[in-house]
Amino acid sequence: MLVYECDGFVIEKNCPDVVVFPRTAQQVAAIVQLGNEYDVPVLPRGAGTSLAGGCLPVGGGIMVVLTRMKRIVEINLRDRYAVVEPGVVNIWLTKALAGAGFHYAPDPSSQGACTIGGNLATNSGGPHTLKYGVTVNHVLGLEAVLADGSIVEIGGPAEDSPGLDLTGVMVGSEGTLAIATKIWVRITRDPQGYRTLLGIFESVDDATNAISAIIGAGIVPAALEMMDQGILVALEEAFQFGFPLDAQAILLIEVDGLEAGLDAQRDQIIELCQRSGAREVRQARDAAERQKLWKCRKQAFGAVGRLSPSYCTQDGVVPRTKLPHMLRRIYQIGEKHDIKVVNVFHAGDGNLHPILLFDERDAAQVKRVLKASEEILDECIACGGSVTGEHGIGVEKIEFMSKLFAPEDLEVMERLRLAFNPAGRLSPHKMLPTAGACGMEQHHPGRRAAV
Amino acid sequence: MSAVSDSLPITETATPETQADVAQALRDAYAARRAVYPLGGGTSLDYGLAPKQPGLGLSLGALQRVIDYPSRDLTITVEAGITIAELTAAMAAEGQQLPIDLPHAQVATLGGAIATNWSGARRYGYGTLRDYIIGISAVDGRGTPFKAGGRVVKNVAGYDFCKLLTGSLGTLSVITQVTLKAKPRPQRSAFAVAAVNNLAAASALLDALASSATTPVAIELIAGIAWSDISGELLPAGDLRIVVGLEGTAAEVDWMREQLAREWQPLGQSPEFITADLQVSALWTALNDFSSGPSELTVKINVLPSRAAELVGVVRELDATASIQAHAGNGIVLARFNELPPGGMLATMVKRLQPAARAAGGSAVILSANSGERTAQAVWGSPAADWPLMRAVKKQFDPHNILNPGRFVY
Ligand SMILES: Cc1cc2nc3c(=O)[nH]c(=O)nc-3n(C[C@H](O)[C@H](O)[C@H](O)COP(=O)(O)OP(=O)(O)OC[C@H]3O[C@@H](n4cnc5c(N)ncnc54)[C@H](O)[C@@H]3O)c2cc1C
Ligand SMILES: Cc1cc2nc3c(=O)[nH]c(=O)nc-3n(C[C@H](O)[C@H](O)[C@H](O)COP(=O)(O)OP(=O)(O)OC[C@H]3O[C@@H](n4cnc5c(N)ncnc54)[C@H](O)[C@@H]3O)c2cc1C
Repeated sequence: MLVYECDGFVIEKNCPDVVVFPRTAQQVAAIVQLGNEYDVPVLPRGAGTSLAGGCLPVGGGIMVVLTRMKRIVEINLRDRYAVVEPGVVNIWLTKALAGAGFHYAPDPSSQGACTIGGNLATNSGGPHTLKYGVTVNHVLGLEAVLADGSIVEIGGPAEDSPGLDLTGVMVGSEGTLAIATKIWVRITRDPQGYRTLLGIFESVDDATNAISAIIGAGIVPAALEMMDQGILVALEEAFQFGFPLDAQAILLIEVDGLEAGLDAQRDQIIELCQRSGAREVRQARDAAERQKLWKCRKQAFGAVGRLSPSYCTQDGVVPRTKLPHMLRRIYQIGEKHDIKVVNVFHAGDGNLHPILLFDERDAAQVKRVLKASEEILDECIACGGSVTGEHGIGVEKIEFMSKLFAPEDLEVMERLRLAFNPAGRLSPHKMLPTAGACGMEQHHPGRRAAV
Repeated sequence: MSAVSDSLPITETATPETQADVAQALRDAYAARRAVYPLGGGTSLDYGLAPKQPGLGLSLGALQRVIDYPSRDLTITVEAGITIAELTAAMAAEGQQLPIDLPHAQVATLGGAIATNWSGARRYGYGTLRDYIIGISAVDGRGTPFKAGGRVVKNVAGYDFCKLLTGSLGTLSVITQVTLKAKPRPQRSAFAVAAVNNLAAASALLDALASSATTPVAIELIAGIAWSDISGELLPAGDLRIVVGLEGTAAEVDWMREQLAREWQPLGQSPEFITADLQVSALWTALNDFSSGPSELTVKINVLPSRAAELVGVVRELDATASIQAHAGNGIVLARFNELPPGGMLATMVKRLQPAARAAGGSAVILSANSGERTAQAVWGSPAADWPLMRAVKKQFDPHNILNPGRFVY
């Protein structure tokens, strides 16, 4: 049971009363009905890699773990969709498509573990969302178990079904509206070619200015990721890629598409990087080197483990042109609270992931980490941004909702939840500060762990 | 307001200048339980069922400002009443675009486009309007102003009302302000076109396009009298034509032309190319304006892409002279009938088109009709399984059913 007391957000913990592993939608429906009968919360869970505490069983209740619903039900190349059960791990679909000339575009860094159901619920992004969009741009429809225990299909493989776009609002609803039991996703043609570049910069400012220069010039790379010196050191230790350890920042830039256009784009990007002060721009020599670079990027969080016993990954967004300012502030805030911060993030989207390093056993440090996180996110809001680009609100960021949104905004969101989940038994106390449920006390779910 | 209000039971029209004005008007209407008809450019006010309840026309025309355009961030924030033409011009000045291909751009508004969720031919390459909206402000049926999303391209804080309001036909809220993602304009735009002898040949070509090494932005199958004006000048002679839109850099477009010629050869087809700027833009205009052309009945059928040609066949069986534009790559078939097919509206929609569409994984709806009885069944088809959920959502946003009452099936 302890496995299920939290997800990737370890600061708060609580045990569910029951954990179930259904294999069919009918079983999920029966569980939801039992939850209603006994008036206890019901909480869906995928792989539990959420970083915002979406799987924290607030108020206990029944946890519905969907990892046994893991069939790829159908792949239709001609009509470009696949049907999957929610427990299918993100990378499995791309693996199943390998060789057919297709892939599943949303590629969170956790794609080796997280499920497509979890991706749907959090509207996951990843390095390739810059060009290909986030999960919502790739979900065509779903089958879901509603709060009353009924099973319903929403949308489907054909585009433009008449009526309200309930699919769109289900994506990113963090398990608070319904439980997805089957998902129709778009599959994407593989690009003909890639050019993968590594821009090496003497200063973080130069690197962040290069990002705006590239996007501002009308180039939309498939991915544009930034890593600062702190993370490079960890990556180099883990992978010995040959990253220059004295560089302050590197940009991993990938363009993809028709071969006919790639060299010109590459040359333009190299020129823009150089004009922004890049010390050097390298190109991945072959597919193996490209793959190694991406492996480093995707496992960056894992490598952080070498730097510190615990870390907290933040998830803020600012307009791309505000990145230079925002990174300066992040380092300042870290210094002020004596917390080391390293950065690896989706720079092309302005989606920052400052990683705050600390020791969970030291209560004072934990407090400083929380304070620093808060200041960083407040600064994102001040820049016209958001406190989450892809991890969601969960329980972690509930308090920020009233900073981002007016009471009226939250009231209307609350009403949407009432339409789907009138008794509030599905995933109570998530996402909305007001998200009370009839008969359930309104309280913050107690910050346990080291705090 | 003449033309606009003709099709609606409007007794009075208001032209609010701010979101606060919109909110006040809706609060008053909520208290009085009075119907409200949001009005954009008035180009699709007869979409859906005909509303009968007398009420207030709420023109969004005065809400037309560009609020913020940080073009280097590739985002733009505008008021909902801005016309598509003004928006396009503002973005073109920065070398950017919103690639959604609307007819009547001079009068149609962004708010109206969002309410109807319209996207034209280039949806194959660029996605639909829904994919571009990252922030939205609106006022619900109680007069509560609210917003969702924001001004950054990635944001998952709160429910995604940008999606929910897109295509809601002005029945959940009045949209007042929108933030969009922008796309760079392509260097070059061209077409490959080919006449095909029959639907089987069309299908074979469409199959080939679905697995082509090229990356078209539009895959269209067109037929019928509506295209005769531009035939000869822009299109090869014939009744059934495939039109493929190609965009990118000059080198990319050149490569795609050669590649398509190679791919089509085994199918016995050789594409003609349209590359001169004037001709290219004339063809885009024709493709964008098709559905707003003269017609007794205009329908939209959505099916799996592999079944689009089949549905074109069903339409032609009903009326051999029907004019058709299928966004075949997306499985969307638009058909204009010069007169109501034999048997009338119900037989056409309920007995023929809707079952055929359902069998091909989709549905068929009426976009506009001059005559014939527009029942809920004919206009929207039989309710889908998620219909009760839609009603529950409607109830929360508009409890007194004052927003466009009767247009949708509530
Ligand atoms: C190392 C690491 C890297 C990461 N990188 C990224 C990244 O690049 N991009 C990104 O977006 N995220 C990233 N994440 C966060 C996380 O992986 C994503 O949020 C992911 O989508 C969660 O999937 P999951 O299956 O683990 O879901 P869980 O953690 O199990 O659940 C997440 C939320 O979804 C709900 N849920 C799960 N399944 C369903 C269902 N079937 N129906 C309804 N609700 C459901 C849960 O209730 C919960 O609220 C990363 C996490 C880690 C640990
Ligand atoms: C028969 C038909 C064919 C069409 N063909 C095409 C086509 O080929 N290509 C294409 O791109 N588009 C097409 N459209 C869609 C049409 O071009 C767009 O919907 C247009 O942009 C509408 O803009 P408008 O300002 O004229 O809206 P209006 O006609 O004024 O309003 C349309 C609907 O939206 C509501 N509405 C308007 N503004 C708002 C607002 N701010 N908030 C909430 N609700 C609002 C109205 O109440 C009404 O229900 C077609 C529509 C129809 C009916």
